[in-house]
Amino acid sequence: MSSLLFAFLGVLLVPLFMASWRLSLAALCGQGLLLAWIGYQREPSLAEPETWLRMLDLVGVRALAAPLALYSVLRARGAPPRNDVLPPNLMAWTLAIALVFVSFRFSERLAVDAAEQTSVAVATAALLLGLLVLATQTGPFSQMIGVLRVENAIALFELGHPGASGAPLAMRAAQLAMFALTVALFRWYLRTLPLPARSRDAAPESPLQ
Amino acid sequence: MSAELRWLALIALPLAAAATTLLARTSGAHADAARARRGVSRAHALLILTSLATSGLALAQTLTPASPRWLGGLLRGDVVAQLFAPVLNLIFLGISVYVRGRGPGAGDAASTRAKRRFTALSLIFLAGANLVVISNHLLLTWLALEATTLAAAVLIAHAEGAAARLASWRYLLFSSIGLGLALLGLGCLARSMAAQGVPPTLLLDALPAALAAPPDPWRQLGVALVLLGLGTKLGLAPMYSWLPEAYDEAPAAVTAMLGAVQFNCTLIFLLHVVQVYRPQSGALITGALLTIGVTSVAVSTVSIVATRSFKRLLAYASINHAGVIAIGLGLGETASFGLLLYVLSNAFIKAILFLTAGKIESHYGTKDTASITGLIKDLPYSGLYLMVATFALLGFPPFGSFLGELLILSALVTSGQLFVFGAFCVMITITFVATGRTIFPMIWAEPRVARTWPRQRLRDGLHKLIFLLALLVLGVYLPPQLNALMTEAAAMLGGR
Repeated sequence: MSSLLFAFLGVLLVPLFMASWRLSLAALCGQGLLLAWIGYQREPSLAEPETWLRMLDLVGVRALAAPLALYSVLRARGAPPRNDVLPPNLMAWTLAIALVFVSFRFSERLAVDAAEQTSVAVATAALLLGLLVLATQTGPFSQMIGVLRVENAIALFELGHPGASGAPLAMRAAQLAMFALTVALFRWYLRTLPLPARSRDAAPESPLQ
Repeated sequence: MSAELRWLALIALPLAAAATTLLARTSGAHADAARARRGVSRAHALLILTSLATSGLALAQTLTPASPRWLGGLLRGDVVAQLFAPVLNLIFLGISVYVRGRGPGAGDAASTRAKRRFTALSLIFLAGANLVVISNHLLLTWLALEATTLAAAVLIAHAEGAAARLASWRYLLFSSIGLGLALLGLGCLARSMAAQGVPPTLLLDALPAALAAPPDPWRQLGVALVLLGLGTKLGLAPMYSWLPEAYDEAPAAVTAMLGAVQFNCTLIFLLHVVQVYRPQSGALITGALLTIGVTSVAVSTVSIVATRSFKRLLAYASINHAGVIAIGLGLGETASFGLLLYVLSNAFIKAILFLTAGKIESHYGTKDTASITGLIKDLPYSGLYLMVATFALLGFPPFGSFLGELLILSALVTSGQLFVFGAFCVMITITFVATGRTIFPMIWAEPRVARTWPRQRLRDGLHKLIFLLALLVLGVYLPPQLNALMTEAAAMLGGR
């Protein structure tokens, strides 16, 4: 379990240091697949409809549909390969690493056993890094990446205690539908939003900055 | 028809009407301009009829006893639902009348499609809002609020143009984060119950029994995240920057939906959380809400002084009011009645102001306060509505906002929050002067350019007159039935 969680943490961190939108989308796909794997390890039986719904959410929407939806738009708009989801400077990178350490310290106050502590720490790190991306970026694509990272953090947190809210299956399905609609809207915005003057000067076709 | 069916009809009717509008859109795709305009008129008529029916049903619900839980405990018609459902549906009815007054459009295929989509999404928004009101499950409330958010995001972009799309994106971005944090908070609350060996539940009426144990870190974190998330949705500091942009760029009808309907839906969600968790986490809730409230009033005051756009000014005034509401909510039982009075008055004030602002903007073609003068001569009814609603906004008697604000101020003193009281008074005075200095010259100054407008008819703004009467009723005479509902709801919100 811990190895999967640390792999998830790696997938969270790598795109922050390597400025490529393809890598950011690949990382989102990786996060979705790792979430599905973690979920499968915790509940290997696929007998319950709720488990299938969760797999559809994690693999179908988070790992495949969301990254592909954004990828197709960026490709069609001829986006240049470079895109920083974090400002490329030592300050931002130090802050990102510091947030990961803070997350691990924070989890010690919340969770009792070691396995739960790691799970909570990685979910907290995912949340804080997502918020860091949102706080430092003004371009729609980078902001979308930030929101999807936050959504994945919530999904990882929920995997810690699946079904804890006692919500019926229909409500879970509605939750998934809302997320899918949000992704569809993201795609529409990415397709139609105008380019700020700064990026127009730098890269005529870039919807990224 | 049973009370439960009437509550369900508040959701089913708008959804059925939305489906009808969308299906009609397909069959009318190749119609000529005259037929297209007729189609849009029919869609608008359906919008009005549906909101008229839901308003009637919601009003009827206030005369029947509160409904116990049904549909597996997921829904209930408690006093909060009885109090808010008529207000939200009546405001939506007024918005529908306003939308119809904007006309059927050019009649070309694109305009017809856009107007039908607008109608259908508005109806979905109404269904979501009504579901928030009667939901008894926190996750269901969250889902309904998310549904209104997705519909509203597309509705904001209806204004066309890059600025509206950008405002719509920022609205969705902040809403996604706010609702995401609230969802994470709900997860923490459920995990707290699991950690304490209690079967986790998010059913509102089952929660008090499940929260007997003293609060643990999970519960405190959950409450804090829900407050922060819903505060973002309400446009409270620190994550309020989406609100002025969205309110400014959205069509007037959508701004009214956001400010007067969705704002109150979010508030109902927050009221329920505060009501359930106050007995154990009272200190955290009071501290967080007072801090957020005072900060919001402060930032909005500075922005009101600085802005030159009257729509932005109204947006900042909304943040200011949200701050006052957060302060009132933080105080608990001592301010509950005043808070409810303030919230209900605020809903009608915002509806009048935003719809009037839309009318003014469309006539003058500008939002710049310096460019608009002599409203009372140019557009007498709009000028009058703007003037009276501004007085209500500033907390003048005899409106409900005056009494509500007075009760909140009194609660600040009795609960010993003298620093907050002092800061609040100073900032409200600055807001008062800055708003008056900006709005009143728009109304009374001599027109700079002599223009001839089509004569305004009283019946065109009849819905605003009804809102104004409601404001007066809240300030002057509360009917016994309404008074009883408010007293009971105030006791519930106080944590009793």
